[in-house]
Amino acid sequence: MWRRCKQLGVAQLGDGLVGLPADARTREQLDWVAEQIVKFGGTAGVWLSHPATAGQEHDLAAGMAQARAAEYRGVIEAVTAAGREPAEVRRRVLRRLRTQWRAIDRRDFFPPPDREQARQALAQLASASTTEEQPAGNLAAP
Amino acid sequence: MKWVTRPGVHIDRAACAWLIHRFIDPAAEFGFVADAAEVPTGATAFDIRGVPLGHHGFDCSFETILRRYELTDPVLWKIAEIVHEADLADDRYDAPEAPGLDAILRGLSMTGTADHTLMVSGPVFHGLYEYHHRRLLLGREPAKPWRREPL
Repeated sequence: MWRRCKQLGVAQLGDGLVGLPADARTREQLDWVAEQIVKFGGTAGVWLSHPATAGQEHDLAAGMAQARAAEYRGVIEAVTAAGREPAEVRRRVLRRLRTQWRAIDRRDFFPPPDREQARQALAQLASASTTEEQPAGNLAAP
Repeated sequence: MKWVTRPGVHIDRAACAWLIHRFIDPAAEFGFVADAAEVPTGATAFDIRGVPLGHHGFDCSFETILRRYELTDPVLWKIAEIVHEADLADDRYDAPEAPGLDAILRGLSMTGTADHTLMVSGPVFHGLYEYHHRRLLLGREPAKPWRREPL
């Protein structure tokens, strides 16, 4: 269940207490998580709540943004490492990292600047791989 | 027969409604309720927390309905993988169609009523079924046979 909660990008608010910004999708996702916990004999419920102060809300959002930023930085580091690999390996890594970026994006409710940086890093990796394919004809030239 | 689900129709509910109408109850009528406590007598509820036709274990509601009604068509199970990934995105299946379908259904839920989403998404699932049906028969990517279209 904790793995599922992490996939959803929850903020840990306390012991056994997690939160997500309320929208139709997050509400439903937490509903199903709660249902599973109850089915396994646990106790769970979904509550709609508001932080008592704007500062509290800001800290919560900042914490979630930081967690996503760390994930995007992981993508950027992997892009940098892939740059040293042969073209075939790079293309395979690119596919995997694009999937990873989309998964992070799906649980990113307060996008940090690292999101765009990771997207650009992926675009550059894709562009480098494509450009390298162009001169392939030159290899046949004497 | 009357079937009810929650409003705010997204991928799992839209796919379930198509499945029910096409493979279980051609005369199905669909209604919407906020939660399990509001399900009218005689109606069958799906994709609502606390009803039998909801998420179970790792299954989304579409997969639960396939199991409950013993639908073994491999094409439906292929669509189940797509619906599962579009709904839960837990990487259980390799379903490249999922993110696109998720975006389309999410957009539809923002632009029209729940009834409208069901009406528009029905032919989409029908097309998806036909595509994967032909793919299964051919063993490769299918395409519509080429013929000169009349001018």
